[in-house]
Amino acid sequence: MQLQKQMDAKDVAGINGCPTCAFEITGDGFMEGEVVTCEGCSAELEVVGLKPLRFAEAPEVEEDWGE
Amino acid sequence: MKKIDLIYTRLRAEERMILEALRKRDCAVELHQDADLVLPLDAGHWSGGGVVLMRSMSLTRSRYLAAILEVKGARVVNSSRAIATCGDKILTNLALAAQGIPMPWSFAGFEEEACLGEIERRGYPVVTKPAVGSWGRMVARIDGRNAAEGLLQMRFEMGGASDHVALVQQYIDKPGYDLRVYVLGRTVGGIRRRSEHWVTNTARGAVPERYEVPESHATLAERAAAAVGADIAAVDLLETRSGELLVNEVNHCVEFARSIESTRIPLPELIADYAAGVHP
Repeated sequence: MQLQKQMDAKDVAGINGCPTCAFEITGDGFMEGEVVTCEGCSAELEVVGLKPLRFAEAPEVEEDWGE
Repeated sequence: MKKIDLIYTRLRAEERMILEALRKRDCAVELHQDADLVLPLDAGHWSGGGVVLMRSMSLTRSRYLAAILEVKGARVVNSSRAIATCGDKILTNLALAAQGIPMPWSFAGFEEEACLGEIERRGYPVVTKPAVGSWGRMVARIDGRNAAEGLLQMRFEMGGASDHVALVQQYIDKPGYDLRVYVLGRTVGGIRRRSEHWVTNTARGAVPERYEVPESHATLAERAAAAVGADIAAVDLLETRSGELLVNEVNHCVEFARSIESTRIPLPELIADYAAGVHP
């Protein structure tokens, strides 16, 4: 579903790059709210936009989350 | 085609599997991230379908969203009552007690010295846990007076007024595991969670394995789920070394990502069947 590759330094501001390490994350079939792990730096990322594809660092677990 | 609204916080492995299972059943699934929902507090009809599958990870959001959507005519699985009851361990214990369901003794208290006095009267060890909490966080075993004083002081001096309640429970000397029974209207399976630590929560490293749920365990779990009003529940049972069976907790938003590989209980399929089945 996703393919990651190291981006050139000049491309790191790409909107579908990992916000932590700038790896480019491409692919389709993502869903908003989906959590993915960046293969570049292992950061936990949340899909926050689809068109264009955008990622943000997944929020810290909130106190009232979980079973 | 059956329309089902699925509300989520994060699309974790669980939600993705449930989504896939619903789609395989020819359900039209509309996804709603809980953070995006802004709903008027009125009885105006919910524009979604009739059935809402609540998979929000947040107790605050799921409880309120379920209550709002119920007023708007939706059938929410689980209901706001079940979420509110399961989300608060004191209310869970009360709901179980009201139905005469066996469980470890417990008490609630609102002041440090009063709680300490009651613990001393009942004897050590005891367990204290937040009335509202999850994943085994801040569950503590108290073996003696010194620990009790420290933990109770923290309980009553930190946080806000709503945190200043102590839930103290009987410590059960488990035989290295606890049991979790999945109830979806009826018992559909169970897991045994093994750990060398006295906290047997898979979020804290306990190892899940499948167990064949005996009739007596199934009946008790179904009674517990009914007591809190849950359609779908994971009922945690404690077995004492003498074989007595007690209900410890009832969970309303069943997580299974850590256990499904080893137990092979098809919970996503069963949850999808259940949600599709309650569709009017």
